[in-house]
Amino acid sequence: MAGVVDVPQQIQTDAKIVVKAITSVFHLKKTRTEPAREFIALKEINLEVKKGEFLVLVGPSGCGKSTLLDILTGLAQPTSGAVYIDGNKVTGPALDRGIVLQGYALFPWRTVRQNVEFGLEIKKVPKRERRAISDNFIHLVGLDGFADRFPHELSGGMKQRVAIARALAYDPEVLLMDEPFAAVDAQTRESLQDELLRIWEATGKTILFVTHSIEEAVFLGDRVAVLTPNPGTLREIVKIDLPRPRHNSDTRSSAEFGWIRRKIWELLQNAPHESRHHLNAVPVAEAISPTASL
Amino acid sequence: MENGALRKAGVILLFLALWELAPLTGLVDPLFIPRFSGVLITIRDLYQTGEFLQHTRISLLRAFSGLAVAVVIGLPLGLILGGWFPRIQQATEPLMELCAVANPVILAHIIIFFLGIGETAKTFIIAWLCVWPITFSTITGIRSADDSLLKAARSLGLGRWQLFRLVVLPSAAPSIFTGLRLSAGYAFIMLIAAEMMGAGSGLGWFIVQSQESYHVLRLFAGATVITFLGLLTDVSIRLLQNRFAFWNSEPGESFHLQGRGIV
Repeated sequence: MAGVVDVPQQIQTDAKIVVKAITSVFHLKKTRTEPAREFIALKEINLEVKKGEFLVLVGPSGCGKSTLLDILTGLAQPTSGAVYIDGNKVTGPALDRGIVLQGYALFPWRTVRQNVEFGLEIKKVPKRERRAISDNFIHLVGLDGFADRFPHELSGGMKQRVAIARALAYDPEVLLMDEPFAAVDAQTRESLQDELLRIWEATGKTILFVTHSIEEAVFLGDRVAVLTPNPGTLREIVKIDLPRPRHNSDTRSSAEFGWIRRKIWELLQNAPHESRHHLNAVPVAEAISPTASL
Repeated sequence: MENGALRKAGVILLFLALWELAPLTGLVDPLFIPRFSGVLITIRDLYQTGEFLQHTRISLLRAFSGLAVAVVIGLPLGLILGGWFPRIQQATEPLMELCAVANPVILAHIIIFFLGIGETAKTFIIAWLCVWPITFSTITGIRSADDSLLKAARSLGLGRWQLFRLVVLPSAAPSIFTGLRLSAGYAFIMLIAAEMMGAGSGLGWFIVQSQESYHVLRLFAGATVITFLGLLTDVSIRLLQNRFAFWNSEPGESFHLQGRGIV
């Protein structure tokens, strides 16, 4: 039960985000086929994200990565443990974190500009200032000339750009992204990834990015936190030493990219010792080929 | 031009042409179905007397006051039940559905007993039938507010009232308009029923009078005017819908069909 373990309201830390011993248990109700049971979505997750870092959470569906993101957003409470931002415990949603969701979640009755300005309206920023800020972010995501369009007039990729601009507009220090590019086609996805890195480098935000794509994780992240399901556990954090700035065209074709991707893939297979041994026997070309993980 | 508008207009014209030609060629007895042009001429003549205009005005007033009462009751009822009291809404749903199919005309004698035979009873009968589509569609609209939209809004720390005003209410707008259109249609149907019981004016009364005195042309004139007014109301509401709830009428990917992350 929450509150049984005493969690301090503040901690001393240099990290931007501290995830401390997060456990999340759901009580599933009895169904016709199954009795009532407990489902451990997350078990003892510990994680630190540095200021300005790009951290990716990767894992298969059911590993609790979206639950973790909900807890970080403040929309869900952990069963035990706590999340700290700048050393302060997260108790609910606030404007210091921006979120971008898979389904775009744009307000269909608002234009691109009105969507981008939504958070600013909540923040009660005066109209003229709002306009300047939204102009700036609409430009940043490359949607000049689309400010007065409605979401249904945009392509999936453009919608996601609007969602990113909306999350950035009210200037949160942390950007939480929940599989933001999962619903767009492969080509758009790659260009959005390039865009995101460019925006990240331009704004210096701390980004926590959730995906189930290993490729995406390796391409984007400074570090990749690998989650495995049943119960959702943090298996390992892999540091990605690929040089920046990264571009889809050349980063993906590097041998190192293939090796890291292979390593994460094996971590997800849940058999670390065997497969590491196995990996040595695999020809390099196969290990680094883009289809090796499929 | 709207997609297929030409074809739609063509079908209407074809229907009117058939209406004109069928009595002319003796396909139907003009004593039962008069020619369309004859009906139009009768309407023109009727409006020159001024009395018919009075009937039209009274009927419109009755239909709209019934509809207005329905909106004033149904909209807040739907918002409150759908937005704040889901348990009560669930519990009362079967009863409300029962009320929605209960025909107020059958209960006319009870209504007249309580409300008399004047305008109140007529407004009540119309409002009774119109209130349910609005209530139900408002509840449905509020329920169908997209989870990810709510999530995105809640992540900004919006309070319950802000969430309701800025996200839930606009989300419900397309559904509310759909209910309103349905109700408006009912209003014009019930108008005739209401005016058939103890009225001395209105288009419904005029139609009954014409029927009883075998004035087929007048009967058709009254019916055509009512149909036209109902149609006009529907088109007006649809225009409002396109103006204020345009996003749902767009074809292609609907915003609440987007994938949602589970766990």
